[in-house]
Amino acid sequence: MFYLKLTLLTKSRCRAEMRKAAAGGDEEAPLQNGSSGRRRAEPQPVEGDDRNSSPGGLQDEYDDNDLGRRREIRSKYRDLINSVQQNREDMLSPSNNRLTEVLDEADKLFQDVRQAREAVLDAHLLVVTTDLGKEKASQLISEGSAFDSTVFAEHLLSFMGLNRLEDEDDEPPNGGAGDGYLPKDAWHRLARRAECCFRTAPSFHYMMGSFYAEPPPPKQRLERQKKAPSKEAKRIMPTQLKKMEESQEEATEKEVERILGHLKSYYQEDPSTPISYYEFVIDPNSFSRTVENIFHTSFLIRDGLARLYLDEDDKLPYIEQVEEVEEEARSSVSRKQCLVSISQKTWRELIEVFEIKEAIIQPPETQNE
Amino acid sequence: MTERKRLSNSQISSQSKRPSSSFVAQEEDEDAMLTQPSTSQVQKGLEKLSPAQVDQKTAEVVQYILVKDQKKVPIRRADLVKNIVKDYRTVYPEIIKRASRIFEQVFGLKLVEIDPKNHLYILVNNLDTPPSNPSPVEHPSNPKTGLLFVILGVIFMKGGVVRDKLVWNILKKLRVDSGLKHDEFGDVRKLVTDEFVRQRYLEYNRVAHTEPVEYEFRWGQRADMEVSKAKILEFMAELHDQDPRSWTQQYKEANPTHTSSQASSSSHR
Repeated sequence: MFYLKLTLLTKSRCRAEMRKAAAGGDEEAPLQNGSSGRRRAEPQPVEGDDRNSSPGGLQDEYDDNDLGRRREIRSKYRDLINSVQQNREDMLSPSNNRLTEVLDEADKLFQDVRQAREAVLDAHLLVVTTDLGKEKASQLISEGSAFDSTVFAEHLLSFMGLNRLEDEDDEPPNGGAGDGYLPKDAWHRLARRAECCFRTAPSFHYMMGSFYAEPPPPKQRLERQKKAPSKEAKRIMPTQLKKMEESQEEATEKEVERILGHLKSYYQEDPSTPISYYEFVIDPNSFSRTVENIFHTSFLIRDGLARLYLDEDDKLPYIEQVEEVEEEARSSVSRKQCLVSISQKTWRELIEVFEIKEAIIQPPETQNE
Repeated sequence: MTERKRLSNSQISSQSKRPSSSFVAQEEDEDAMLTQPSTSQVQKGLEKLSPAQVDQKTAEVVQYILVKDQKKVPIRRADLVKNIVKDYRTVYPEIIKRASRIFEQVFGLKLVEIDPKNHLYILVNNLDTPPSNPSPVEHPSNPKTGLLFVILGVIFMKGGVVRDKLVWNILKKLRVDSGLKHDEFGDVRKLVTDEFVRQRYLEYNRVAHTEPVEYEFRWGQRADMEVSKAKILEFMAELHDQDPRSWTQQYKEANPTHTSSQASSSSHR
C-alpha cells in the first residue's frame, strides 16, 4: 500500500510539472500573433486525457522502448533549439519561413511528450522561437518610411565632410570601410550641429582654476640625487689614491734621479760656477712644478748627492753637486736641516729678480719627447 | 521669508489632518528601509537650527552637486548625505528643496531625480535652447556629442531598442571601429558600453537566451531627460532631405501632443 501511494505521489508531481511547463509556454503565446497561439490549443486536450487516465495506466510507460523514444524526442528538441540559435540571422530575414517550419515540427514532437523533461525542452524551444518572432515583428514596425542604417551612415559621412577620392586607384584606403577619408574635425562638425538636441547642464569649473601643489616634490628629488653620486665618488677615491701613492713613490725616485742628471749635466758644462738654488728649482711657467722640483731636490740633499749652502757674500742659497765621497766622510759631515717654503707671490718675485726665463729642470713630458 | 512661512503653514495643516505622522512617512516613502524624515520631523529639525546654518548647508550641497556633475555621472543620495548633509539629515528634504530652487533661479539648471528607487540625481539645463542658432559664446564642441547623437538617433529611429551589432556596424561605416583604438575616441567599446552607460545616456542590457551573448541598447534615463526627440528627428530629416512627418511612428513619439491627421493604427499589426 505504502509503495503504491509513493508512486502515485511521484506521478502527480510529474503531471504538475508538465502542467507548469505547458503553462509557461502559454504565457509566451499571447505576445505573439503567430502560429504559437494556435498551436497551444491542441496539446491541451492531449494532456487532459493523460490526467483523466487511471493512475495505474501510467505505470505501464516505464519500459525500455519508452526511454529510447524519450531520448529521441529530447535530441530532436535540442536540434531544433540549436538550429534556431545558430541560424538566427538568416531566420530574421523577412523572406525566411524557417521559423514557422520549426514550430510545426515542434508541434509534432509534442504529441509524444509525456514526461516533464521533454516538456521543459519544449518550453525552452518556445521561448527561443518567441524571442526570434518578436524580433522579426519589430522589423515590421516602421510605418511610413523605413529607416535604413546604411543610408543614414552615408548621409552622416557627407555631412561630416567626407572627401571622396575620385582619381586615385580603385582600392579603398580604409581597408574596406569605404573610400575617401574624413577631415580631422569631422566629429566636431557633427557635434556642433547635434548639440542643440541636448539640454546638457554646462560643466562647472572654477574660472581661475585651482592652485598647484607640485613644486615641493621635485626639490626633494634633486637633493637626493645629488647626495647619491657624491657618496659613490668618495668610495672610489680611496682605491685610486692607493694606486697613485705606489706609483708616486717610484715616480719620486725617478724624478730625483732625473734631477740629479740635470745637476750633473749642468756641472759638466760649467764645473766652477755654482748654481743658484732658486734658479735651479724654479720653473717660471708652473708654480706647481717649482714646488715639485724643490721636493725632489730635497731628496738629493738628504741623500748627500747635492749640497745646499748659503753664499757668504750675497747670502743666497746655492746648490752644489757633491763628488763621490767616502762613506765615512759623508756621515761625518754635520747635517743640518732646514725648511724651504715658497708661495706664489714669492715665486713670482723670484722670477722677476733673478730674471729666470726658462726652467733648468725640464718637466717630465718634454723630456720624453 | 513669506514663502518659507507659507511652507511651514502647509506642513502644519497637513500634519493636523493625519493621525500619526510617522506612519505617513513610511507610506509616502517608496524605500521604507531608508529613514527619510517625516514632515513633522523636518519641522522640528528646522526649529533647532538657525537659518544661517541651513543656508550654509544648502550652499554646500549645491557646490557638491555642481562639482560632481562635471563627469556627468549621476549623484547618489547616499553619498550626498554621508559627505555633506551629515548631521542635518533630519532636514534633508528641506535642504534638497532649497537647493533645487537655487539651481533653477541662480544657475538655470534643474535637479532631477532620475532614479526614484536608488535615489540618483542629475543636473539638466533648464533653459530653452535657441532654435538651431549657434551659441553666441564660442565654446569648444565635444566630439562625444556627435557619437551620442548617432547612437541615440539610431535607437530612436529603430523603435527604442537595437542590437549591439547594429550599433557597431554603423560606427564601423563611420570609420569608428570598436575593435581598434580611434584617434578621437580611444577605446570606443569602453566609451559606449561603460562611460555612456554610467552617465546614463545609454542602457546596455544582455539579451536573454542568446548564444553567443548579445546585448541591446536603449536610451538611458539621462537621455530621456536631456535629449529632445523632436530635435533629433528634425536633424534626421535634414540629413535625409525628407519631411520629419514621413516617419509617422517616430514623429508621433517625438511630438506626443500633436495628433497627426493620418490617424494610423500605431502598434497593431
